[in-house]
Amino acid sequence: MTTLATDLYLLVAAYGLAVAVSYAGLPVLGQGAFVAVGAFGTMQLAAHSVPLGVAVLTAIAAAAVAGYLVGFAAARLAGASLALATWGLAWLAYVALTLFPRLSGGAQGLTRPAPARLVSPSLGVEVSLHPWVHVVIATAISVVAGAALWRSARTAWGLDLAALRTGPALAHSLGVPVQRRRRAVLAVAAALGAAGGGGTAVLLGVVAPADYSPLLSLQLFVAVLVGGTATWWGPVIGVALLSALPNTADAIASGFDVDPLRARAVLTAVLLVAALAARGPIHRLLTWLPSVGPPADIGDASQAPALPATTATPLLELRSVRATYGAVVALDGIDLDLCAGEVHALIGPNGSGKSTALRIAAGTIDATAGEVLRHTDVVRTLQRTAALGELSAATQVAIGARARERVPYAGLRELLSTPAAQPLRRGRAAAVSDALTVVGLGNRGDAATRELDSAEQRLLQIARAVATGAPALLLDEPAAGMSAAQRARLAGVLRALADVGHGVLLVEHDMALVGRVADRVTVLEAGRVIATGTPERVRSDPEVARAYLGLSVA
Amino acid sequence: MSGGLVLQAVVVGLSVGAVYGLVGVGFSLLWSLTRVIAFAHGDIVIGSVLLAVLAVIGTTPVAVSPDVARSIALVLLALAFGIALSVASYAVAIRPFLGRRHRADDLLGWVAGGVTAGLVIRTALGVALPAAAYAVPDPLHLDGFGSSGVGSLPDGGSVPVRVFPVLVVAAIVVVAADRLLVLSSIGRAIRSVADDPDTAAMCGVPIERTLLVAFAVAGFLAAVAGVLYVPSAAVSVDRGVVLGLAGAAAALLGRFGRPRDAVVGGLVLGVVQQLTVVTPHLGAAWSELVPLLVLVVVLAVRPGGLLAPREAYAE
Repeated sequence: MTTLATDLYLLVAAYGLAVAVSYAGLPVLGQGAFVAVGAFGTMQLAAHSVPLGVAVLTAIAAAAVAGYLVGFAAARLAGASLALATWGLAWLAYVALTLFPRLSGGAQGLTRPAPARLVSPSLGVEVSLHPWVHVVIATAISVVAGAALWRSARTAWGLDLAALRTGPALAHSLGVPVQRRRRAVLAVAAALGAAGGGGTAVLLGVVAPADYSPLLSLQLFVAVLVGGTATWWGPVIGVALLSALPNTADAIASGFDVDPLRARAVLTAVLLVAALAARGPIHRLLTWLPSVGPPADIGDASQAPALPATTATPLLELRSVRATYGAVVALDGIDLDLCAGEVHALIGPNGSGKSTALRIAAGTIDATAGEVLRHTDVVRTLQRTAALGELSAATQVAIGARARERVPYAGLRELLSTPAAQPLRRGRAAAVSDALTVVGLGNRGDAATRELDSAEQRLLQIARAVATGAPALLLDEPAAGMSAAQRARLAGVLRALADVGHGVLLVEHDMALVGRVADRVTVLEAGRVIATGTPERVRSDPEVARAYLGLSVA
Repeated sequence: MSGGLVLQAVVVGLSVGAVYGLVGVGFSLLWSLTRVIAFAHGDIVIGSVLLAVLAVIGTTPVAVSPDVARSIALVLLALAFGIALSVASYAVAIRPFLGRRHRADDLLGWVAGGVTAGLVIRTALGVALPAAAYAVPDPLHLDGFGSSGVGSLPDGGSVPVRVFPVLVVAAIVVVAADRLLVLSSIGRAIRSVADDPDTAAMCGVPIERTLLVAFAVAGFLAAVAGVLYVPSAAVSVDRGVVLGLAGAAAALLGRFGRPRDAVVGGLVLGVVQQLTVVTPHLGAAWSELVPLLVLVVVLAVRPGGLLAPREAYAE
């Protein structure tokens, strides 16, 4: 019973880590440190005569704060630095525990009587925490965690996690508050880790530093890794494997005459190698197998979601904007505006500042000087089609739709199916289907993104942006890699979007497409606007001809 | 604390810091090329030396000076093992998770690959060398410069004599590595791949071979760090990770990915750590935490290193 309870507490910690690793895609190598905060925090507080329940909860809260702070290391460089920071944390905790016996009780650890007794004088109750009570508590937390993850697949939380996992840059461009979400995820992961640690400490009545070495962090990491990406049952499999580990290790240790702790390390290494083999070569084999899907065809672009404002109001204005990268002047004081209902093409030779203008307009980077007036929500597509292979097209568009929902506690509401959740979910589903239809992918919603051809992926990017509901759409070379027929379709899509009131700012090299679809063209050269007006006017402008063809003006 | 103690801390700190710098250079070099943090790098530092000890002396190293032939064999084997472990960790644990342009692609993959490679190295060593810690003889005989192995400083400080030759050897190796990167054709290839793999490939730089050479160079530097560090005190096989994290912290004190910064960062870190030892109320236990605290704090404040510009999301 005690063994079962410890395994279940390990499962609680594993669920916490799963939220960070397999759902949010954050490489956390220091879950053991948070478990240790829960275990040693509980014991220390209880030793200083803090009531046991308060001690556990305080330790959990402390770990959550620590996790939240570590989230700052998950800032812009994200993955790599977070992995290093959490690995450093795992060793920091372990080294501190071994060097400061006052903190850890030395090699013998800290002890308290077990089974613990919960006494509440005010209520007049006295409960003895037998192992079966722990089994119930740990099972309850695990079931809640597992069920929340299982149900979250199509909820606001699930979409947030999918966005964090598959493309932080993309999620940011759609308006998902990536940093905040990452910190929240790490706080949750740390809290569940500490809950597991605190529970184990109370259950066993003893915590020793050796049990909270970085090896524990690696074991939890591999337990989460073997379950694959975003599966609620993954941690269960992983912890089941881990629970077999001590006995197997002891058998190996006595059979081959090695230190039991080394034997555990050997088995952990074996598990990690197996998980990696499944991830690398086997995963590659699976994705290499030719995918079967219906042949690509770009659908009908007649339907489009209606926007409230369809008058020609300015959505976005750039006033004398300057941008420099070090000594390089990318934009040298440009004026640019975008109105509702128009397709405004921004053209110019390579390096003329088009993408920089787009980034400044979207707020991704700040202008060095000048003014950017955004009268409405603005969303930008990235030049590179983000490779989010595993998600379905509909889910990706739903990430866009979710990005700008202004409903507090949407995730919680959906999880509990509160009355507010139904319209929320219906509204999101409608936004997704509208956005897919307007770009002509209405029949491809269920396809995994890697099954879409490159033209469809470009259209999907637009759908994602449309689904955010932002009136101003900034599209960076949406026609790249498209055939002539696909470009004709794209032109239809862009026209349809403008007709329902979107303002479309289009960076594009293909002059035929620009000529067909744009209401207005602005030409940049070396960071300056050299011409602006209708496509016909711009085409006959001698300055433009010189910039593009190098002709000297007579 | 007296002036003598401070001087002592600075001198010892510089020699410890030189080792951190050598390790940090490896982290920075490999990051600049692949955008991968070589998690096994610290284990290679200790692993290369302990493997050489296993091969030359056996499982019971004693801290008596080995003869000339064994000393040479120890140094050469340690360097060879360092190169071999680094290249092997690349081939097995990092290469499969690089994507287009030979840059990091599958994040969880290369992170797991790196920590697994490190765990495999120290577990294998731990099975072969089961004791808690080993005193390894010094193959370079750096203690032999003084009669007692301990030198006196003004104002009552005293330092192990070996810290001076350690500094000299580390300086020679670092300068040589720097010149290699700046002057040689392979150094040019390495810098071009770090700058832009696509353009480098278009100019005919063999990227795969360049990366192998870079991992070999990093492994060589790791082995040098190990040979200088290991004989200074009894080491456990787990020491490698902490040493590696200290190296990463050194690299982060400058701009992560710029190898020269790591050298300066290492010296600063080493001196700060040794000053912690002689600071009242702190002492040796706290000094052990210094590199790890620096690592975690710098990553939280400036993930690209203290001197790195703030970066936008990679697109």
